[in-house]
Amino acid sequence: MIDLSIIRLKGVSKKYPPDNLALRGLDMDVRKGEFVFLTGASGSGKSTLLKLLYCAERPTSGQIIVDGLDLSTLSPSQIPFLRRKVSVIFQDFKLLSSKTVFENVSISLEVLGLKRTQIEKRVRQVLEGVGLSGKLGHTPLELSGGEQQRVAIARAVVNRPPIILADEPTGNLDSDRTDEVLLLMEELNARGATIIFATHDERLYKNTHRRVFRLSDGRIEVTGP
Amino acid sequence: MTLPSLLKRALADLWNDLGTHMLTTVVIFLSALIFSFFSLIYFNLQNFVEHFGTELGLVIYLNKATPQDRIPALYQKLAGLEGVQAVVYISPDAAFKRLASYLKDEKDVLKGVDPKFLPPSFELRINRAVFHLDRLKRLAEKINRWPEVTKVQYGQEWLNKLKRFSVLLRAVVLISGLLLVLSSAFVVSNTIKLTVYAREQEMEILRLVGATNGFIQGPFLIEAFFQGLLGSGLALAFLYAGYRYVETLMGASCLLKGVNISFLPWTFIGIILFGSIFLCVSGTALAMRRFLRL
Repeated sequence: MIDLSIIRLKGVSKKYPPDNLALRGLDMDVRKGEFVFLTGASGSGKSTLLKLLYCAERPTSGQIIVDGLDLSTLSPSQIPFLRRKVSVIFQDFKLLSSKTVFENVSISLEVLGLKRTQIEKRVRQVLEGVGLSGKLGHTPLELSGGEQQRVAIARAVVNRPPIILADEPTGNLDSDRTDEVLLLMEELNARGATIIFATHDERLYKNTHRRVFRLSDGRIEVTGP
Repeated sequence: MTLPSLLKRALADLWNDLGTHMLTTVVIFLSALIFSFFSLIYFNLQNFVEHFGTELGLVIYLNKATPQDRIPALYQKLAGLEGVQAVVYISPDAAFKRLASYLKDEKDVLKGVDPKFLPPSFELRINRAVFHLDRLKRLAEKINRWPEVTKVQYGQEWLNKLKRFSVLLRAVVLISGLLLVLSSAFVVSNTIKLTVYAREQEMEILRLVGATNGFIQGPFLIEAFFQGLLGSGLALAFLYAGYRYVETLMGASCLLKGVNISFLPWTFIGIILFGSIFLCVSGTALAMRRFLRL
């Protein structure tokens, strides 16, 4: 049988000192090209789970495999290369206010060592894709919240990663901007990216045909097809 | 990631945060200037003591009753001593003539005085390469034990005073150097920390998009290298300009015309440059360590 999963967790637990068990023996599979929601109340462990997936934290026990890489055997020097495959979008955008939109997005390509001409071409393409082609020279502070999040999405996808983790990306946006971001994520998914969309906004996944992973008390349950 | 791209990023960062980087450079400049200034004085005093001691040489006064036929044997004995470069015999008559020439217009006071009233003597010039004050002292004591010798002079009081002063100055240079290194290390590490903390978010984002530690740290280390090099280089250039100015002044002064001064040795210049660069680069690396943990 062909294994289609791009993310697999087996018995993953995460304990914070002194005795706070954030995740308890999680098992989870996400298939390649899938779009899943990760939900749960505040403090249920959504961000912790995502942090484990991009190696910002290590599990206390269990095994995590991302795109064929066993994260428990990953050395610190290999982590940057994992993060080129796993992009993250945050609720607070994490943009550099002193840099322009173009510079904020191009960072993801500079770390890959691409030539200036290649960087310019790809950044322009991606910004056009998120509807910001006219804002290249603006700084984040000159943009609305929705536009800032679109810059963050552009930065996350410009290096064409196979996996995108979105950690409450619509948490700071009104409902119209939220729908825009969700649509953008669906477009990225349609182009082949695997997406884990963490949110506690029930409206976003209430009528979805996608799988929903719900975290509660450090345990996970899945609903959907 | 190539060196030109790292250089480009480092120069851009330097330009964007010129104020903080200038502060670090000024601290390095002042510390290196004060330390190298004291070192310059110390090196020149050392040179002076050496030069002065060699110039003085040894004067050996013989017993007036020393037979004339013993002089060649004593001459040979002195010339054969280790470290002796030249021996000159001064007979009582020659000594009398020298005294008369020193007195110039006052030489009349010597009228009626026996031209042989001064003792015969030898003047020894010491080889500069083997000169050392303690060695000179031992040599003088050895010669002084010879039966024909009544007194040996080598300007020991002056040399001892100069030696004590140069030891004191060396202690001042070493202590001031140590204090300067400690204080500048403290100030530099804190200004570097400020720079690093100011760009904490940038480093966090770089780590999230998959930048390696080398990519993140590279420009910071290059900036630190330039700060150390610029600060200490300017200090040495400033000191050299001051040195040339003093040298010109001394050349014009009748009193100091014969005194030679020299600049810091190349090895010492290298140590100051390397030390300053090392201080900045290691301070940056230490300040960044926290941010590079994944």
